Amino acid sequence: MKRYPQIAVAFFVLLGVAVLFPSLRVFAAPPLVSKASAVQVLMIESDEIKLPAEFQVSLYEDLIHQLEKNGGFQHVYRDGDKRAAEAVDRIVLHSSVRGFKKGSEMARQVTTVTGKTSIDVHCQFTDKDGKVLLERDLNGKVMFFGANLRATYDFAKKAAKLAHDNFVAAPAS
Amino acid sequence: MKSSWKPWRVLIGILLLQMGPLALPNLAQQATSDAIRVVQLTGLVGVKNKTKGTVKVENGTLQFVHAKAKTELAASTVEDVITGNDSQRAVHGFVGTLTMFAPYGSGRFLSLFRTKLDTLTLQYRDAEGALHGAIFTMPVGQADALKKLLIAQGAHTTLPTPDTAAAADAKPDTTKEHQP
Repeated sequence: MKRYPQIAVAFFVLLGVAVLFPSLRVFAAPPLVSKASAVQVLMIESDEIKLPAEFQVSLYEDLIHQLEKNGGFQHVYRDGDKRAAEAVDRIVLHSSVRGFKKGSEMARQVTTVTGKTSIDVHCQFTDKDGKVLLERDLNGKVMFFGANLRATYDFAKKAAKLAHDNFVAAPAS
Repeated sequence: MKSSWKPWRVLIGILLLQMGPLALPNLAQQATSDAIRVVQLTGLVGVKNKTKGTVKVENGTLQFVHAKAKTELAASTVEDVITGNDSQRAVHGFVGTLTMFAPYGSGRFLSLFRTKLDTLTLQYRDAEGALHGAIFTMPVGQADALKKLLIAQGAHTTLPTPDTAAAADAKPDTTKEHQP
């Protein structure tokens, strides 16, 4: 029974270490898969799943906006952009939709707990020659507030973070 | 003998002859459309997301006018036009957000009252060949008309409706090269 204060002290010491020495967290970060200064985003494919056109376009546009804003790349190229060929260390992001559930904004607003919209997307990063560098399944969802299309924004944020963590070096501090 | 020649009959005949071609269903003649109030959700270059404005198809371009600025998009650069539908709260925007905090669940009750919307999704390429996507929402019943106008002026679609297919057939095929 008298060990509770010791446990509490140990907890706060560990918490303090984690806060005061953020460099420790750098060591825990995974190594870069590959270094890239440019990324090209291809149009979202949805061959297996019937995805409404507005979701497909919204996924693509949100992905580009988030990569420009948070990806840390010098250049973000769109599908078909001729200027992408000039980028030497360019990676290409292929995305295909594997699952889609269109919820209801009205159900979310009325009940709070139902009406979730969810999109599952398989992301594949390749180099410019097509060699696969990284594959990951990501999910975008809107559970409580916002229109159905907000699920694409949620996915785009996760994809931009994935790209940043694996292909853009963290600035040394 | 009384003459049956009456000037007003001739006048009506001439008028009917002049008006005849206008009565034919020629979509290519529809060079302009009335401006439609829309919300641009995303995708137009240089325009913020969720910008309100009006859209008009004129002289082979889609014109989005918002806050004294005009953005034009050539219909021939549009690779795909697709319509859809959605709905939104009848009380939306900032006031709609405030109603969510109304007492006794009245905000939730207001969520039951909704207005239907049409969506128009475009995919187009810029001068560098880069693919862009744009999404507009508009009052119900407007998107199909806008789609027909765009197709009549050179836009393409992967999901033609019977009317748009007829318009595409009537339109001269500009992609084919004419051999001398």
